[in-house]
Amino acid sequence: MSDLAVFFLHGLAYAGLLFLVSSGLTLVFGMMNVLNFAHASFYMLGAYFAMAIAVYTGQFWLTLAVAPLALLVIGAVVERFLLRKVHVLGHVHELLLTFGLAYIIQEGVKWIWGNNPQAINVSGLLASTVHLGGIVYPVYRLFIFALSALLGLGMALVIYKTRIGIIVRAAVNDSAMVNALGINVPYVFMGVFAVGAALSGLAGATAGPLLGVFPGMAGAILVDAFVVIVVGGMGSLGGAVLASFIIGQLQSFGVLLFPDFSLALIYMLMALVLVLKPEGLFGEKS
Amino acid sequence: MRKFAIVCLTLALGLVLAAGAQAAETIKLAVMEPLSGNFKDIGDRYAEGVKFAAEVINAKGGINGQKLEVILVDSELNPAVATRKATKLIMQDNVRHFCGGTGSSVAGAMEALGDKHNTLFFTYGMAAASLTGDKCNRNFFRTCASTDMQSYALATWVAQQGFKKVFCIAQDYSFGKEATAAFIKKLKELNPSVEIVGEVLHPLGTKDFAPYVSQIISSGAEVVFTSNWGNDLTLLLKQARPLGLKAKFAGYYLNDDLMVKAVADDEAVIGSVSAEIYMLSIPGQANADFIAGFTQANGFYPTWLRGKAYAATMFWAEAVKKAGNDKVDDVIKAWEGLTYDGPAGKWTMRACDHQVQQPVWIAEMVADNPYFKHAYVGPATMVAPEKISVPCQETGCKGFAK
Repeated sequence: MSDLAVFFLHGLAYAGLLFLVSSGLTLVFGMMNVLNFAHASFYMLGAYFAMAIAVYTGQFWLTLAVAPLALLVIGAVVERFLLRKVHVLGHVHELLLTFGLAYIIQEGVKWIWGNNPQAINVSGLLASTVHLGGIVYPVYRLFIFALSALLGLGMALVIYKTRIGIIVRAAVNDSAMVNALGINVPYVFMGVFAVGAALSGLAGATAGPLLGVFPGMAGAILVDAFVVIVVGGMGSLGGAVLASFIIGQLQSFGVLLFPDFSLALIYMLMALVLVLKPEGLFGEKS
Repeated sequence: MRKFAIVCLTLALGLVLAAGAQAAETIKLAVMEPLSGNFKDIGDRYAEGVKFAAEVINAKGGINGQKLEVILVDSELNPAVATRKATKLIMQDNVRHFCGGTGSSVAGAMEALGDKHNTLFFTYGMAAASLTGDKCNRNFFRTCASTDMQSYALATWVAQQGFKKVFCIAQDYSFGKEATAAFIKKLKELNPSVEIVGEVLHPLGTKDFAPYVSQIISSGAEVVFTSNWGNDLTLLLKQARPLGLKAKFAGYYLNDDLMVKAVADDEAVIGSVSAEIYMLSIPGQANADFIAGFTQANGFYPTWLRGKAYAATMFWAEAVKKAGNDKVDDVIKAWEGLTYDGPAGKWTMRACDHQVQQPVWIAEMVADNPYFKHAYVGPATMVAPEKISVPCQETGCKGFAK
């Protein structure tokens, strides 16, 4: 019995990680209709920034604050000076732009930090284990889950309960009208994109200690993030939460029950969702 | 008439000069490695070993009076690219000798080129047993252990230690499967009462090892065999300890110092063992001299891949020396049966399949080591070549067609 509980915890922790990684992607897509291919590269940048800060200061908590802030700035710059210019040309150009950006970041990271894998060390409470009714479990995995739960809750509150959220949602539906009401719509979109980048920076800083920091880490996570938002419904926050949970548990119990095709289970789920509900679990029909 | 004579003389002189230039020409060795992309760190380290071997050889006057010239080629880990670049070297620069350590697919491409242009290829890193087994080739030599030999060495160690419950975890592709199968086969042979309490293959590039680690823990394994490399090894070790795994690992590649650094948790590697044909802690003067020379020239240790590539290149140079020239047919003939006593012990190139017969070294990872601040290999003990040898008739190599 306790065995099953352990696998459930594994699933929860991984679900937390998946949500952290996909939340920014789904936010940007949902609010701006931009499919950001550079998302995973922002995630990688977050991890490398966190690594650099951790090496210099030895303060892991600091990395959780600084890495997202750095990505917030980078995201704002990318939106203001690159994405906005090609927006009028349509989705394909936006896609190509972020795709190219992903390559530039990838090579830039190798250029600055080299090819060798690096590590972010956590210490103190986060590096310890905790007893949960007979199970000894690493605190860091629980921390990832807790952080993602808080983040999901926070995002839902901002988007659905605050004035900023109302403006953003309105700007998505009818940007001309919102503009006419005296709100600077380009400014709003810049903010959304910057927050999306900051979220991926946070995800990178959080994932670093668990998954390592290396130049291939963007490619490794990109597919997972896309599967989450396709299954959950492109742009749906609730969908991302549900899809992360399902995929996390599927991954964990898949290894236990069907070790030979645990990886295929996730793609089978995606195929099933695409057949039965092409817009995703919580997606809106276009 | 006089004009004609002058032309003739000039031509003759030209020919003599050309012949002279020919004699002083270098022996060229092209190194096919991924020098860009995700496996750059692997390719770079192999190349450093080959380059240092060339420095040592040239400092002593070269091979048969000819200097050795090393040409680094970025294979991009892509057989088509490797074929294109190697063909150009064969056609334009008359390169006949190639080596490489990364990617069995590249080996396949180089074998095909070897058949076509009669070039020689030796590998110091490609471990797939089939390369000197059913895919064996007259122009292909292996100077490192095959998966069979490396797994047999680990099985020998596990049997010696008297472990009763063993778990096997490996990457889900031909290499991981071959390595695990060979390990289990040898272990059952040495100790029929041993229990394999679990055997799992995980996808390449697995991010979360927690479900696998929980399976290992609940299996009650005393030791865990793994042939994992790169990030799949880093993350397995890094994530296993916080989840409470007490069993130690018996692995192929734990003596990768970059990997140990990336784990960044000494407790996660201490006590586990690594099996390789080269490691820093191999006893003997030859290795001490090599380490001293390499460290002086480069400023860092010739760990793992560097040492493997160095010893392999020195062995190849011995064959060229014995042949007296660098003609591929002569070198092949000279290399078969040749023995080389280098930093990693005595190596003999077996004629039947061109698979070197050599010791594999086993070392436990320890905190206190003379090389790094982080944990690294302790004293190495030898598993003798005859203990891990695969007999000629069992390799699947049906001899070389000529």
